[in-house]
Amino acid sequence: MKNQQRREVIQKGLIFALLIIFVLAIGFHEIAAALVSRVFGVSVRRGSVAELRFMMYFFGLYAFVTGWANIRKEGSWQQKFLQGLLTSAVAGFVVAIFDLLLVFLVSNSIDIRQYLTAFSIPSMSYFLFEKGQAGPLYHLGYFIVFGGLGALLHTLWITEMVQQAFEKTKGFIKTFATKASDAIPNVVKKYGKYLLLLVAAIIMYFLPRMWGSYINFVVGLVGLYVIAGIGLNIIVGLSGQLMLGYAAFFAIGAYSVALLNAPEPHNILLGFWPSIIIAIVMAILAGILLGLPLMGLRGDYLAIVTLGFGEIIRILLKSDLLENFTGGPRGINDIKGPTLFGRPFSNDIQFMYIIFIAVALSIFIYQRLQDSRTGRAWLSIKEDRIAAQATGVSLRKYKLLALCIGAAFAGLAGGISAARNQFTGPNDHSLLVSMNVLSIVIVGGVNSIPGIILGAFTLKGLPEILREVENYRQLAFGALLIVMMIKRPNGLWPATRPLYEKSHCLENEELNTGKERKND
Amino acid sequence: MTAKVKSPQVKQRDLGKIIRPIFGALVAAYILWRLYNVFIVEAKYGPQVWVSLLISGLIIGAVYSLIAIGYTLVYGILLMINFAHGEVVMLGIYAGYFVFEAAKAIQVPSSLNPELVFADAYPALSIFIAFIIGMGVSATVGFFLEKIAYRPLRKAPRLIPLISAIGASLVLQNVALLLFSPQLRNYNNPTVMARGNGWKMIINETPVNVPYTGVFTLILSVVLMLALLYLVRNTRLGKAMRAVALDKDTAALMGINVNHTISSTFLISGALAGAAGVMWGLHNGQVFNTVGFIPGIKAFTAAVLGGIGNIPGAMLGGMFLGLVESVGPTALGISFQLKDVIAFAILIAILIFKPSGILGEVLAEEKV
Repeated sequence: MKNQQRREVIQKGLIFALLIIFVLAIGFHEIAAALVSRVFGVSVRRGSVAELRFMMYFFGLYAFVTGWANIRKEGSWQQKFLQGLLTSAVAGFVVAIFDLLLVFLVSNSIDIRQYLTAFSIPSMSYFLFEKGQAGPLYHLGYFIVFGGLGALLHTLWITEMVQQAFEKTKGFIKTFATKASDAIPNVVKKYGKYLLLLVAAIIMYFLPRMWGSYINFVVGLVGLYVIAGIGLNIIVGLSGQLMLGYAAFFAIGAYSVALLNAPEPHNILLGFWPSIIIAIVMAILAGILLGLPLMGLRGDYLAIVTLGFGEIIRILLKSDLLENFTGGPRGINDIKGPTLFGRPFSNDIQFMYIIFIAVALSIFIYQRLQDSRTGRAWLSIKEDRIAAQATGVSLRKYKLLALCIGAAFAGLAGGISAARNQFTGPNDHSLLVSMNVLSIVIVGGVNSIPGIILGAFTLKGLPEILREVENYRQLAFGALLIVMMIKRPNGLWPATRPLYEKSHCLENEELNTGKERKND
Repeated sequence: MTAKVKSPQVKQRDLGKIIRPIFGALVAAYILWRLYNVFIVEAKYGPQVWVSLLISGLIIGAVYSLIAIGYTLVYGILLMINFAHGEVVMLGIYAGYFVFEAAKAIQVPSSLNPELVFADAYPALSIFIAFIIGMGVSATVGFFLEKIAYRPLRKAPRLIPLISAIGASLVLQNVALLLFSPQLRNYNNPTVMARGNGWKMIINETPVNVPYTGVFTLILSVVLMLALLYLVRNTRLGKAMRAVALDKDTAALMGINVNHTISSTFLISGALAGAAGVMWGLHNGQVFNTVGFIPGIKAFTAAVLGGIGNIPGAMLGGMFLGLVESVGPTALGISFQLKDVIAFAILIAILIFKPSGILGEVLAEEKV
């Protein structure tokens, strides 16, 4: 037992030390310091680093978390605290040894930035708190003091007394909430949904006028990704086909609108409204063409084929082969925006309304589809395709239908985005876009509209607002995908199972125990 | 007494069955037309062009084969596409790059040449070290990849590990981006093995270059593949790998350590990927953070082409894909920009017409 604890202390300490070293290696410590500085309300100029004290705060916070996360699970409170402290100390020790290398590099002014970008001399000495040779000692001290503090606070936090108080507060809030909801008259409850929708619509009308154009841009982007996310969710979440080339449909929508509305290369100028419908139809046609031969494939093969399809579309758009038709690698410029009764939609504020309406429409269609016979057929295919087939669900038909409807959503989002940006080019439709949409669906919550909206905000909106973290966005996407798959495969805001299914599950609870549920 | 029950014929209009032959005929007609155009109507390329294209195709095919083996090994055992395999290759390329940079930086002064560097003094040794380190780095990455991203999901439905693999791929790409910067770097080959150096073969009174790096790549990859075949067919570990691929539970009952075997598989496929990476670097000479993606997808295509789970199939598929990709654009008379389209189109065509590949897939029966 003693031995195992010792190993755990060393292992965890090593992991936490390696993590902070990794943070240095990718240069994230400067960004983290800048973020901390923003929390304290001190803005950081572009191209410079935050004040040193914020780096110290960040390091202290990290040490605190190390202590907090590593206390022992059982035993007396002294034992719990001691394990947290020791782990933190081990981490500090490892970091201090690594610091010696940094000190050596800094004091001999050896710049290895050419090979490892983050290891420039200012960046390294910033990491060492600009204390030179005393840096390692500072780091060790921080880990012991703040790690100890973290361990102590966590130990106190999980003592009976505090937990009971916490439960009491939670219970109090809960009873208050139920009382409050009981107090609402029935009429309001019945029609409250519509009232809420009305209020939301009014807010949606006024909000874009109050925001700046930058926020409008970001929210518009999030809205487009919500539409695309809902579409992909129909394919991935409802019918259970993993699709990695979703950006291809996006591209088809965008190019349809672009080609029909730009002076170059064709000068058709059809107008936005007919062309968005054509965009949707084209996307559906592409879905049929792709889907018909491929519906029999097993899941992971389908994923790779769709990825290949997406890449083919992108490479074709980029190549010289279609340059006269699609503008080649330069893309299409000066796409005309929509007009309604002679009034042009030119700025982001007016475009917000189109996006809001499109999002609302998408959510409405999605909800109706999900609750329909079709939606249940999709779910049944996803859960168990053999059983679904046996009960008379045509796999081919419903899978194809899902693909087409998903493609239609992508065509809509692509068309709107082309008109909004007044530009579209092959690089707007790279594999990364497909991955982003997939991440949004999976991180937010498969089959859950609030989840998708939340996912779009966290993955597309937040990085736009926190511009510092821009370079780290894709890294975070990837890490989130892995962590979500392992820890919460149902997403941040998981879908609630429908009521009819729930009652059924409760009846059969005894039968199902011991057998892993394999939904999603 | 066995009564013969005539099973009712389910009449289902299968549009795919109608569309597939039409699609195939169209593609075949297009290819034939282009071939006819290039070879008979235009006929502007002499044999020297085709020979040099064949040589470069064989070389790139050898690299694809090595990467494809990694996909096939993992798919055979875990039934998952190791989407991050291309990134494992990429890290191998970087490892080799750093070794050659170091070898060029260390000076070994001799009486003849006071500025002699290690890489030029001992080219064979420095290439050997580069391969060892490249294979080591890639194998380590593969090992931890499995441990962190795939092992917790072994019991999950099949698409979940695939999504996790996509996440791992994104993570590795961006870690490389942040560590090494997006800058495009050039491999610093030892002078003897500089890119473009090679034997001159005279065909049709035109010299055709047979690069040293290419010949080296071909020979080494064949050696590695033979070693792998020996390992899989004749050693205890290979036997264990085949047993685990067939049926994990039964293999565990027979006393095989399944976790250990799967880890070894990832180590082996990582090592092959690392070797392929250093070869790629030596021959093509460019490193950047997404360099592994396209070869990765193509190698997967090669693995599917040969029949996934089938090691000789992966080798064959890799070679075939390399040749088609190299000769294809010229033979069809289309722009060289579209060579990736050819690879992806082959992938789609294979999956539509013969998903089990040329040599047939070798997979556990339970999950397919």
